[in-house]
Amino acid sequence: MATTFTIRNLGLPVSRRAAAATSEQAWIRWLLIGTAVVFLAVFLFMPLAVVFTSALAKGVSVYFSALREPDALAAIRLTLIAAGIAVPLNLVFGIAAAWAIGKFDFFGKSFLTTLIDLPFSVSPVVSGLIYVLIFGLQGLLGPWLAAHDIKVIFAVPGIVLATTFVTFPFIARELIPLVEAQGNEEEEAALTLGASGWQTFYRVTLPNIKWGLLYGVILCNARAMGEFGAVSVVSGHIRGRTNTMPLHIEILYNEYQFAPAFAVASLLALLALATLFAKTAVEWKSRQHAKELARMGEAA
Amino acid sequence: MSIEALNISKRFGQFAALEGVNLEINRGELVALLGPSGSGKTTLLRVIAGLEFPDSGTIRFNGKDISDRTARERQVGFVFQHYALFRHMTVFENIAFGLKVRPRSSRPSREKIRAKVQELLRLIQLETLAQRYPSQLSGGQRQRVALARALAVEPSVLLLDEPFGALDAKVRLELRRWLRQLHDEIHITSVFVTHDQEEALEVADRVVVMNQGRIEQVGAPDEVYNHPASPFVYNFLGNVNLFHGRVDDGKTYIQETATGQVLYVRPHLLEIARLPNGGSHFRARIKQINSAGPLVKVEAIAEWGDSVRVEMPQERFQNLQLVKNEEVFIIPKDVKVFAKREPA
Amino acid sequence: MRLNFKQQSILPGFGLALGFTVLYLSLIVLIPLSATFLKASTLTWQQFWHIVTAPRAIASYRLSFGASAIAAGINLFFGLIVAWVLVRYEFPAKKLFDSLVDLPFALPTAVAGIALTAIYSRNGWLGQYFDRIGIHSAYSPLGVVIALTFTGLPFVVRTVQPVLEDLDKEMEEAAASLGADRWQTITRVLVPAIMPAALTGFTMAFARAVGEYGSVVFISGNMPMRTEITPLLIITKLEQYDYAGATAIAVVMLVVSFAMLLSINLLQAWSGGRTRAKAAAAIVAPAFSEA
Repeated sequence: MATTFTIRNLGLPVSRRAAAATSEQAWIRWLLIGTAVVFLAVFLFMPLAVVFTSALAKGVSVYFSALREPDALAAIRLTLIAAGIAVPLNLVFGIAAAWAIGKFDFFGKSFLTTLIDLPFSVSPVVSGLIYVLIFGLQGLLGPWLAAHDIKVIFAVPGIVLATTFVTFPFIARELIPLVEAQGNEEEEAALTLGASGWQTFYRVTLPNIKWGLLYGVILCNARAMGEFGAVSVVSGHIRGRTNTMPLHIEILYNEYQFAPAFAVASLLALLALATLFAKTAVEWKSRQHAKELARMGEAA
Repeated sequence: MSIEALNISKRFGQFAALEGVNLEINRGELVALLGPSGSGKTTLLRVIAGLEFPDSGTIRFNGKDISDRTARERQVGFVFQHYALFRHMTVFENIAFGLKVRPRSSRPSREKIRAKVQELLRLIQLETLAQRYPSQLSGGQRQRVALARALAVEPSVLLLDEPFGALDAKVRLELRRWLRQLHDEIHITSVFVTHDQEEALEVADRVVVMNQGRIEQVGAPDEVYNHPASPFVYNFLGNVNLFHGRVDDGKTYIQETATGQVLYVRPHLLEIARLPNGGSHFRARIKQINSAGPLVKVEAIAEWGDSVRVEMPQERFQNLQLVKNEEVFIIPKDVKVFAKREPA
Repeated sequence: MRLNFKQQSILPGFGLALGFTVLYLSLIVLIPLSATFLKASTLTWQQFWHIVTAPRAIASYRLSFGASAIAAGINLFFGLIVAWVLVRYEFPAKKLFDSLVDLPFALPTAVAGIALTAIYSRNGWLGQYFDRIGIHSAYSPLGVVIALTFTGLPFVVRTVQPVLEDLDKEMEEAAASLGADRWQTITRVLVPAIMPAALTGFTMAFARAVGEYGSVVFISGNMPMRTEITPLLIITKLEQYDYAGATAIAVVMLVVSFAMLLSINLLQAWSGGRTRAKAAAAIVAPAFSEA
């Protein structure tokens, strides 16, 4: 530890004053490290730990029976459906937005980019509410939907819509800076070599952004599966029918079934850990990539 | 294939990149577009390639108007300044790309593609590096891969944007000789952009000198060098001394400001002598001598106070035995006269 | 399409890509959002004002904004320390701590909510000690602050971290060679450099906290006038089929969040191009925008 400090004092004839001005004394360093570690331990490790210990508090059999229960399985299924629709939709959107914004210059581009970020700044509860106001019984389209016997709110379509809204910007904002940074030269090269637009996208652009794309999908999926507030507003909490995993956790918890609630929660916590792991891996991979590019720049 | 650019204009916002450019390039020629940055040379190249659409004007290949064709349809080979190699593909895959993306009906068989790529690898002398990725190559190697990739599709025109710009001095020299040889072997109509006058003069059959979106002069290297059409060309193609004055009956009158003419003299066309030779001459005092290199560079202060650059071969310098602060005579051997208004 | 609207480019697909982007954006985001304002416009100004200034609503704003500000402040303080420690020092398990900082982004809010409640309730791991000294950490405004601190934790760390990484150690050495002591170097050289990023992170954490719902509802106890946050008030009104009331409060929240989005954008413009791209990406993609 304290590598810079010791090396300075051992090897280089740097004045004490200069060393003191570019690094801290050991006790300050350890005080800061200690503060950071305790803060992170209390706010990050402890919640994770409590999820798993509470989930297993009543034993392994309670844990697994909580996961095998029909309502739990239905909740898992619905969560997968919602994410399974929302993520691909936002993926297609993300690619289209990245192509339009990252590769072209046009009037209103930065305004459009800001609009794409909008869902991030809207409270999840409001995100749910806006669909209730359109598709709910009292909503703008409510009477028409009721007359045609189409249910959106308190049904699966509403859940999918709310999930899509909440995860809307994830992939797009991951890809836009990436596509922008790549520039247009490789695509131009492909076109002069006779590639069609789709071939250019498929063989040249896509391979260059694949890690960012994967990362965006992972993040988008994590949020889609874990969304609570927005889905809560549009779901109606019908057990076995319109409950997603987070909603199922809420119901179990409010019924004081703590061990089963934490058992289902532990699945989502595992998903979160897998997401973080994937993020770290992708970051590492993209850093390699960046290094490669840097090397290319140097050699050129 | 011959190329004609007719009355090409192109603006980027307020900036006029090209203003009514006309240029004809003959079949099998190697032409350099030479000019400072912002002169429009790269834009002209990209317009020919179809990478940029002009605001007005026509491009003809072999006399046929192809202005509305996309880059893809023009089938030109384009070598980008920073090569634009596909970084996720190996050298082999990069070169094969243009063949692999052809529609099924005209796509060569796998074996044919392989054979073609091998042939090109031999041409660029990189047979052993086929499985490397671009990041594992040196700058000069990348440059050659980019060239091979462009040649793989057997284009009728080869366009190169600052092909040696990103290379260090030694590699640059080797590669430009190699490019000249390559052109002599395959005789493909080629246009390359450069801001380096030496490069243009050494490699090209003809040089197109550009400035501020216009063509200043087109001609063979010795023609543009020895008979520059404008002060800009004269200035851009080498070092120059400027004098006020005039030339009458083959006699040079220097330091006559009222004439409205400017005399341009290259440093090697000024001769230093201890005695006046009876012709045009002026007095000067030696200020600096730099004798490193094949040419000795001398800076002198003319009698009216301006600084004058003179270059001479080592041999002549040894004969003269010049010393600092010595008073000498300077004799202009060849003078070019232009009207004064242009600042060049 | 040779209009000035778009700079010419030979790459294909602009019309298709932009068309789809705008269509999808309108369908999923813009039209539904404007429906809220449409619905709110059915209220008269007096009705609207009456709803949004009702004592219960005011109490919820006070809690939501107050607790969010405190939580963002806590995150600013500790976030700076965490970012500093992660960038400048070496210590065991540093990589683990670094990647775990993003946990609040990845962990579903409901899971965070019940986990925090279990920790801080009367017989929880930490709650029991708070209880012993007479502090109710769960089911109190303090619980709300704790939950919001959790959700906002990554923002300051992830906005400041890349700026600190980019800061040349040479700059500090230069300051030192010019005779500055450590304290002067920190206050005159480091703090001004990381200030914009830190403020951006603070504002992001605050904005996120104001709208937060899932992690708060379990730990807060949801007592009207005391521990009821504004998003919960909207849900309560919805459950009572008071759509107009819910919409009015939602409009207030939307206006606030738009204002905050604007200020975040302005802050990022202030902190300059490079940090901006990074900070923006930090919301979801900490330190990834470089590729």
